[in-house]
Amino acid sequence: MTSETRRRLLSACRDIVGADGVVSAPDELRVYECDALTTDHRAVPDLVVLPTSTDQVAAVARLCATLGVPIVPRGAGTGLSGGAIATRGGVLVVLTRMNRVLDIDPANRTATVEAGCVNLAISRAVASHGFFFAPDPASQQASTIGGNVAENAGGPHCLKYGATKNHVLGATVVLPSGEVIRLGGRLADQPGYDLLGVFVGSEGTLGICTEVIVRLLPVPQAVKTILAVFRSIEEASTAVSAIIARGIIPVALEMIDQETTQAVEAYAHAGYPLDAGAVLLIELEGLSAEVATEAGEVELACRAHGCLDAKVARSEEERTLLWKGRKSAAGAFGRMTRNYYHQDAVVPRTKLAAVLREIAAIGVQHGVRVPNVFHAGDGNIHPLLCYDDRVPGQFERAMAAGDEIMRCCIRAGGTVSGEHGIGVEKREYLRLMYSDDDLAAMRRVQRVFDPAGRCNPGKIFPDQPHEERTP
Amino acid sequence: MTDAALMTHLLPALRECVGPDGLREAAATAAYALDGVEPWAAVVPCDENEASRALALASEHGLAVVPWGGGAHQSVGHLPTRYDLALDLRRMNQIRAYEPADMTVTVHAGVTVTDLQRVLAEADQFFPLDPPLPDRATIGGVVAANLNGPLRCRYGTVRDLVLGMRVAHADGTITKAGARVVKNATAYDVTKLHVGAHGTLGVVLEATLRVQPRPALERGWWLVGAPVEECQTLATRLLGSHLAPNRLEVIVGDGRAICGSPEPGPALMISFAGVQDAVEDQAAALDGLARRAGFRIVAIENGPAVWRMLQDFPWGFTMHGTAFRIAWRASVLPSDCAKTMQALAAGIPPTGMAMAATVAHGVLRGEICAARPDDLVVRLREAREAVSGVGGFLVVTAAPAPIRGAVTMWGPTPGDAALMRQLKAAFDPRGVLNPGRFIDGL
Repeated sequence: MTSETRRRLLSACRDIVGADGVVSAPDELRVYECDALTTDHRAVPDLVVLPTSTDQVAAVARLCATLGVPIVPRGAGTGLSGGAIATRGGVLVVLTRMNRVLDIDPANRTATVEAGCVNLAISRAVASHGFFFAPDPASQQASTIGGNVAENAGGPHCLKYGATKNHVLGATVVLPSGEVIRLGGRLADQPGYDLLGVFVGSEGTLGICTEVIVRLLPVPQAVKTILAVFRSIEEASTAVSAIIARGIIPVALEMIDQETTQAVEAYAHAGYPLDAGAVLLIELEGLSAEVATEAGEVELACRAHGCLDAKVARSEEERTLLWKGRKSAAGAFGRMTRNYYHQDAVVPRTKLAAVLREIAAIGVQHGVRVPNVFHAGDGNIHPLLCYDDRVPGQFERAMAAGDEIMRCCIRAGGTVSGEHGIGVEKREYLRLMYSDDDLAAMRRVQRVFDPAGRCNPGKIFPDQPHEERTP
Repeated sequence: MTDAALMTHLLPALRECVGPDGLREAAATAAYALDGVEPWAAVVPCDENEASRALALASEHGLAVVPWGGGAHQSVGHLPTRYDLALDLRRMNQIRAYEPADMTVTVHAGVTVTDLQRVLAEADQFFPLDPPLPDRATIGGVVAANLNGPLRCRYGTVRDLVLGMRVAHADGTITKAGARVVKNATAYDVTKLHVGAHGTLGVVLEATLRVQPRPALERGWWLVGAPVEECQTLATRLLGSHLAPNRLEVIVGDGRAICGSPEPGPALMISFAGVQDAVEDQAAALDGLARRAGFRIVAIENGPAVWRMLQDFPWGFTMHGTAFRIAWRASVLPSDCAKTMQALAAGIPPTGMAMAATVAHGVLRGEICAARPDDLVVRLREAREAVSGVGGFLVVTAAPAPIRGAVTMWGPTPGDAALMRQLKAAFDPRGVLNPGRFIDGL
């Protein structure tokens, strides 16, 4: 970017959002050079703006269009795939100041919120009406709904309830041209192409979402949480299939391996056994009678597959404690390794045991530790490739192991990402899953929304030879 | 080349694509007529290569193609502006992959809903979608027309249930979208664009679907004897509660004709499904709420037959003594269903109309009848005004030929229509896929 362009951009952005909504000092810009992706992707944006309205976002987008500058949306920066990094510079639009709940409609079970509204804040705002917002990414205390929409965020409870795309009814979107459009809405089955459906999960490459209409669910009558202890990951995996085979869909079905259990237990004290090969955290939600019946069935299924012990939380405190262990896993990673690379593949449930066995072998072969804590119920695994960047060769070995793991998951009929998105880190893996024609169809969609390729450029798609950083 | 000369030239080439068994010409094209307009030929591919080759040829020569499944819902949408070739997918009728423990199934587009359900039932599972006329409706058609039924109350619609698909593009290129796993955040979810697109962006050849365990038990009730506003109040209350209705419908008009209602007047129909204790608990809770609201509760004895009639309504339904009829669907806010039904019914005797609402989603469907086509047009206009009066829209899903050509089938143009037009141009630059069929000339 020329200094003249930068000067015009800065002055116009100050006019649009006010001086307090613009970050331009180099040391302050550095705060925005990365998101929660832990590998070495960084890029300092040319400018950061923090708008407070859709109109301001639209004005910034028009300005970027006029100047031919990249525009990159960002929420809380909790994304794990580097989606909120201004890879090719330009203006980073941070939506965290747009965090209002605009409307709650209990009779129609919807809420309208601004894109910067934090995920958990939605559930808090509607709790007094007896509702909640179902998607629950691990980042839900910090991540914004706009970011959840961009990444099609999931979470443990999407086994039963589905991911963000199943809970978003409408969105107000600022196109890269600066035009404001409304996708979807509160009326069902609107004729026309489901542009909202393709927008959710498009990782900020099709436009900037500024408002979202979400579907709310009634708080269930009962919840039961069970901790089932197994000798091995293999037995735990078989139990997962057995539970599903009984026609039970728990609301969450999480697996935590021994290495993670030990690290978590060291400071969360959740009561996880240290000698178990793996534990399953199983949660059932729904009507009291249904949950009671299903809990019995789950226990039987576990015991039939080598479960050593099954503990049912008897109080809300015990339940919170069991979940504390699972939720502390991300925090425990730092204790387990100096550096790590977190994967997010999905495999068919029935292939879990075989894939996990292969992952263990790949880890051994490359001399890389690969602990795993993941959403077993829907086959969404999160192998954690551990390395120490001070030791020469370790990073490369971890990446090589990661590459093999990804290939193994795709061979098993799986997919590259279950909930973190592609961002900058998994772009090349797309080719394992999609042909050039498949990707061309997606590119066609992208060009309709963003003909100039300025909206969050350098994300999702594998590099093409002609792509260069905007000067 | 004249049309006739072109066809003489193309028929052998089409036969080459799909084999002699896969080509329908001359008198055999009558089965693919849309309001009396027949295509030159129909191709009936056995697999995706045949489908791809036929589409590539059609595209090369600019032939307008209408994808065809069971044909049960071809009354939806406008007539195509051109119609040269029908692409009948019913010979693509294989279950491609089914692993019950994964709770996913991959099927060819030509598999009918009923055939799919039969296969899934062997593993005590089902595809939780109940579109009208399931014996004829194919999965490809259900996806393309975004069909559903009362079960959407609990399980959602096609967009929630399709995990992946294989699609033939206008030029015959085949692409994959989505995946075969239940959770996916890998690049754009292009499957969504084809759901409800009526084959105007591509032809769905195969779909991977989410399936569900079959509930152990389903029990249903008629709630009758109270005005339609009370049906709305109770329905809104139930939907906001911890109860989990499997189906929840309000019917107004000739309820006996719709699905055998025990008495005239509005009725709320509800079912619960699952393990016995849970069904009984919910039944007890419902009983209390319904009695306090002044309803009489009548158990539905012959559940499968009643639900099937309701599922097919208004497709498999013709009002007694009807001369001309329009079938329609409408969307309003869920809390406005009763208000809409009252506005629609104003001035019409209960025996002269029939409508049902899936309250959870604010989706209504029904039929309008009249002795003369002109009267039908007037009634349709009044119905549209009634629905738009509460902020909704109405789509005509079946109409007699002269009316189909004279009225807007789809309702108001969406705000994002410009993007939709660009998308259509990007996916089907020559306009060969179902041209003019969809909203706004798409």
